[in-house]
Amino acid sequence: MEEQDQMQSSIEVEELEEQQQREGKRLEEENVVRFLDSLDSYVTLLDSLSSTLRQGWLELASARQSMGASRINGALLDLKFHSAATSLQVTHHDDEILNQPHFTLCKWASSKNGYGDEKLRENKLQTNSDGPQLRHRSQFAEKIPETKGAPLIVDDQVQKERTKSLSMFGTLVSPKLRAAQLSFETALETLVEIANVRLTMLSTSDQVRKELEGTEG
Amino acid sequence: MLTYEERQIHLSWTQNTTIKQIEDAFKEFTTREDIAVVLISQYVANMIRFLVDSYNQPVLAFLEIPSKDHPYDPAHDSVISRVKYLFSTESVASGRR
Repeated sequence: MEEQDQMQSSIEVEELEEQQQREGKRLEEENVVRFLDSLDSYVTLLDSLSSTLRQGWLELASARQSMGASRINGALLDLKFHSAATSLQVTHHDDEILNQPHFTLCKWASSKNGYGDEKLRENKLQTNSDGPQLRHRSQFAEKIPETKGAPLIVDDQVQKERTKSLSMFGTLVSPKLRAAQLSFETALETLVEIANVRLTMLSTSDQVRKELEGTEG
Repeated sequence: MLTYEERQIHLSWTQNTTIKQIEDAFKEFTTREDIAVVLISQYVANMIRFLVDSYNQPVLAFLEIPSKDHPYDPAHDSVISRVKYLFSTESVASGRR
C-alpha cells in the first residue's frame, strides 16, 4: 500500500516537472516569435520611413520649383526659440511580459485647447490607414484596409495649426508644400513607432540570448 | 551660459563638420535628461560607428535614418548588427566594410 502511494506521488512529481518544462519551452518559443515579429516590424518600418521621406523631399523640391527658391529658403527661419508644436511622451507601462518604456507622439499639443488625447487617436487612425502592413502572428490580427487612400479624420484645429506652421512661407502656398508637410508628419509618426519596436526588439533579443546561454550552460 | 530652453537639440552636418564635433554632440545628446530620441543620418553615424555601436542604453532611442543623398542600409544599422549574431556565428564587425 505504501509502495503504491510512493509510486503515485513520484508519478505526480514527474508529471509536474514535465508540465513545467513544457511551460518553459512555450515561453521560450513565445519570446522567439516576439523577437522575430519585432525584427520584421523594424525592417518594414524603416523601409516605409525611407519611402515616406523620399516622397516628402520630392514634394518639397516640387514646391520650391513652383513657388520659387526665395519663398522656400532657410533664410526665412527667424532663428528664435519657439514652443514645440509636437512633443514626445515617455511612459512606463507595467506590462507583464516586457517592462519597458513606451514613446507616444503628441502632435500639435502646444495649442491652447490642449487636445493631446484627440491627437493620439488621430495618430492611431493615421497609422492604421497609412502605415505599412506589418505581419502579426497572433490569431487576433487586425484587418488592414486594402486601399492606401483611406480618408484621414482631420480636426479643424489641426488644419489650422498646419496652416499656421506653413505661414512663414506666405499666405498662399503650393499644394505640394502641404503634401510635403503631411509626408514629414507621417515620417515622424513612423519614427516613434520605430523607437517603440526597437525597444521591444532589444528586450526580446536579450531574453532569447539568456535562454540560449542557459541551454548551452 | 545657455538656459534650459536655449540649449541646442540638433547638430547640422556640413562638409566642414569635424568628427570631434559629431562625437561631442553624440555624447551630449545621449547624456541629457530632456532628450529621449536621437535621430542621426546613417551616413553621419558611419563616421562615429565605434561610438554608436558601443551605445547600449535601453531608454534612449538612437535611430539611424536615411538622408537625401545616402539611402538607408540595414547592413550598417547598429541595432540589426547587434541581434544578427542570433542568426549566424559571425561576429558583429565581420560583415562591415
